[in-house]
Amino acid sequence: MSEYGADTPTIGDVPRIVTPPVEPHLPPRQWLAKNLFPSKLNTLLTIVASLVILAIVRGLLGFIFNPIRQWNATAVNLRLMMTHAYPADQYVRVWVSVAVFLVLTSLSLVVWRVGFRILLRKLAKQVIAGGVFGLLVSVLAPFSTNATLIWLAVSAGVLAIGLGLLRAPEEATISSLTLVVGASSLAAASLWLIPYGRHSFVPDRTPRILAEPGTVAITTKLPWTIMLVIAVATYAVGRMLRDRIPTKQAQTVLLLTWFLAPLALIYLVLRDPDFDMAHVVSTDIPIFLVFAALGSATLFWLTRPDTGEIGRVIAMVILFLGFGSFLTPMRMVIRILLILLAMFSLAAPTFSGDRQTRRRYATTWTVVTLFLCWLITAINTPSTVDVPGEFFMGGFSLTLLVAFFTLIISFPLGVVLALARTSTMPVFRLLATTFIEFVRGIPLITILIFFSVMVPLFLPDGMDLPELTAVTIGYALFASAYLAENVRGGLQSVTRGQHEAAEAVGMTTSQKTVFIVLPQALRVAIPPLVGQVIATFKETSLLYIIGLYDLLFVAKALVPNQTEFMGSTRENLLFVSVIYWIIAYNLSKASQRLERRVGLGER
Amino acid sequence: MNDMDTDARTDAEPPARSERDLSNAADMIVCEEICKWYGDFQALEGVSATIKEQEVVVVLGPSGSGKSTWIRCINRLEQHQEGRIVVDGVELTNDLRNIEKVRSEVGMVFQQFNLFPHLKVRDNVSLAPIWVRKKPKAEAEEQAQALLELVGIPEQADKFPGQLSGGQQQRVAIARALAMEPKIMLFDEPTSALDPEMIKEVLDVMKNLALSGMTMMVVTHEMGFAKEVADRIIFMEEGQIVEVGTPEHFFTNPTEDRTKLFLSQILA
Ligand SMILES: Nc1ncnc2c1ncn2[C@@H]1O[C@H](COP(=O)(O)OP(=O)(O)O)[C@@H](O)[C@H]1O
Ligand SMILES: [Mg+2]
Repeated sequence: MSEYGADTPTIGDVPRIVTPPVEPHLPPRQWLAKNLFPSKLNTLLTIVASLVILAIVRGLLGFIFNPIRQWNATAVNLRLMMTHAYPADQYVRVWVSVAVFLVLTSLSLVVWRVGFRILLRKLAKQVIAGGVFGLLVSVLAPFSTNATLIWLAVSAGVLAIGLGLLRAPEEATISSLTLVVGASSLAAASLWLIPYGRHSFVPDRTPRILAEPGTVAITTKLPWTIMLVIAVATYAVGRMLRDRIPTKQAQTVLLLTWFLAPLALIYLVLRDPDFDMAHVVSTDIPIFLVFAALGSATLFWLTRPDTGEIGRVIAMVILFLGFGSFLTPMRMVIRILLILLAMFSLAAPTFSGDRQTRRRYATTWTVVTLFLCWLITAINTPSTVDVPGEFFMGGFSLTLLVAFFTLIISFPLGVVLALARTSTMPVFRLLATTFIEFVRGIPLITILIFFSVMVPLFLPDGMDLPELTAVTIGYALFASAYLAENVRGGLQSVTRGQHEAAEAVGMTTSQKTVFIVLPQALRVAIPPLVGQVIATFKETSLLYIIGLYDLLFVAKALVPNQTEFMGSTRENLLFVSVIYWIIAYNLSKASQRLERRVGLGER
Repeated sequence: MNDMDTDARTDAEPPARSERDLSNAADMIVCEEICKWYGDFQALEGVSATIKEQEVVVVLGPSGSGKSTWIRCINRLEQHQEGRIVVDGVELTNDLRNIEKVRSEVGMVFQQFNLFPHLKVRDNVSLAPIWVRKKPKAEAEEQAQALLELVGIPEQADKFPGQLSGGQQQRVAIARALAMEPKIMLFDEPTSALDPEMIKEVLDVMKNLALSGMTMMVVTHEMGFAKEVADRIIFMEEGQIVEVGTPEHFFTNPTEDRTKLFLSQILA
């Protein structure tokens, strides 16, 4: 016991939880009376609303199960929608990418201990709801007699399982992950067992039948089954190793991998660059070595606590060299590295410290240099994957690609803009405010058209910017203006007391920003930031208007024009909406989890 | 063991601080005729005072009299417009280097604690030594642990500030200020936001700090603390220093009417 702790109650030692009295469980009749029919007006509203819902469901079912719907158009063209023209004989590259993604997901589930236990009785209610919905569908949808019987049987089965679960012991629970694994195993098994191709409609409107009638192609079901096995196996192995690995490090490594994996997959696996070893050895590696060595040495010196003013002078000299390099013909990678080195030098006083700290700073530089050199070399190397058109990706993968690059460019840019807009330097404030207000005043589509059509015309001779890159930059600029406003909201929520406390212990403005203000501001800004991420993801569909082959383009313009699937627009649009919805919904769920998690450290 | 320590500290006769001879001590803070305006409103109207090394000065005064403004001018959280402030030989001007130098020598404890809510208690204490004093991380964390021990909460190092009681948070704030090894500590109503049962634990820490020879300037309404610990009491009203004296002088025969009125109100 400490001197002071002895007589003061410590908060947070053992929280004693007092549960509120349990609400009495109403029998169904009373529950209905209380919640749905408490008064005449409410009864009327309940009835009207139920009728509206019934009408909508019936309309939707009528659309989906109408015999004239060409769902084959979606099923047969899945590959086209996912990856556009990516060559079939190279498809193993796509599957490797999916596998890497799943492995990362599984490991993240392990390391961040995602998953919770669900009461079986609670689950039972959801299963029952599912069964009832199935029964409803069986009755409402325009099925053939056969199909109606199958649907009725399956729904009744589900309902029975639900009722059975209701009998489970009160305390019994099941892990949410077990449920996910179970559900996806069932889905994978069904690919092999259920003749999806033959549902309730007669496929006489589809003259060309690709797979065996009524079965799922082996090129779909085999890879997906393997993917499921990989994901589950990774999770199992991860669980076994979890307690032997320090969590913190594992999380850091995973986060870094999440960030790097898309780049590695795109430029190494999917694109398969045809490296010219002679050129790499004679040019690329020397550039890396020079920058790594000189840069580390400079930064190691600049981060000495007593470097002082001369450090700033050197940083400015490097910055001028960087900007000056644009005046003479030079490799792009050298220009980028010079400017980056200048940024690192300018930030050096903020991170100065003892030998260990300085070595870490220099190492960070080396790693960043290595990464950039590799990335730029890979981008500049021709690909062995032979795809018609300008770019080797299309469809859903292009949607993901543009969203990913937009976000990794716009996030840092947004933070910088927000800091500039709230800074005490009038010039920064003016620049940032002008940029933000300008961009926010223009429709996104205008910016995209500008970047796709006009920017290439303005470029100096000899400089070549692929349309996709230009458009991505347009997206990133647009998103960064909105992100900046969200971050600014977060910055303003940091109290004056926090600023003063940081100043009172002698921190410089940049130290205060990096260590105190930004971490708190970003935390507060999580909900609007995720909202912006979701918006950006959905806005990638504007690529369609620019004429780039994203998911929407394939679904809206390509598939419905195939002779065998003429006019299948609505089917494909519904499918695309479902894909967008699944991703947006999961992002939003993830953000809610994240909020709850980081709330832990708050006041 | 610890119980005996506690007794020894709290029951021992406090040294007769007001009788200490500090006339030969060096000047730590020199304020000459400082004036400060917020817009048209003048918050400080020519405040002059000199605080010696190891001296403990308590600043009293009604709310809005400019106590916070004055104490915050001393580490440049507020900027004075006229007059001179010299802290340990460094004059506060617009020169950023001087400001940084003064701030790293002056610790400050706020009424609202202002701990960094996103950092664990240990990191709250060790952050500035690592990045401002450039101490090696291990050394800074060792020091943080020792300081938490000094303020009596070594077992809370791995918690977040939000998980501590007000009194514990304020003691962390004191440890955080001490971690910069300051020569001067400024306290702006450190116990005003605390529940009554937590006031003593914070005052005890401050008392020990005073006994260890720290130069301190304390704005407080704790008359017991002022009586027992202060070398000198400064009474302010409407941006001016009204009366200066030893606690004995102050509480037995104050000369100014405004002081008497204030004391009668606060001791009533
Ligand atoms: N940031 C500010 N802007 C305008 N007026 C202020 C500000 N801070 C303090 N004041 C005014 O200055 C006077 C002195 O305030 P303060 O130093 O906080 O008093 P005390 O700490 O003695 O209660 C008060 O009248 C207060 O209203
Ligand atoms: Mg005050």
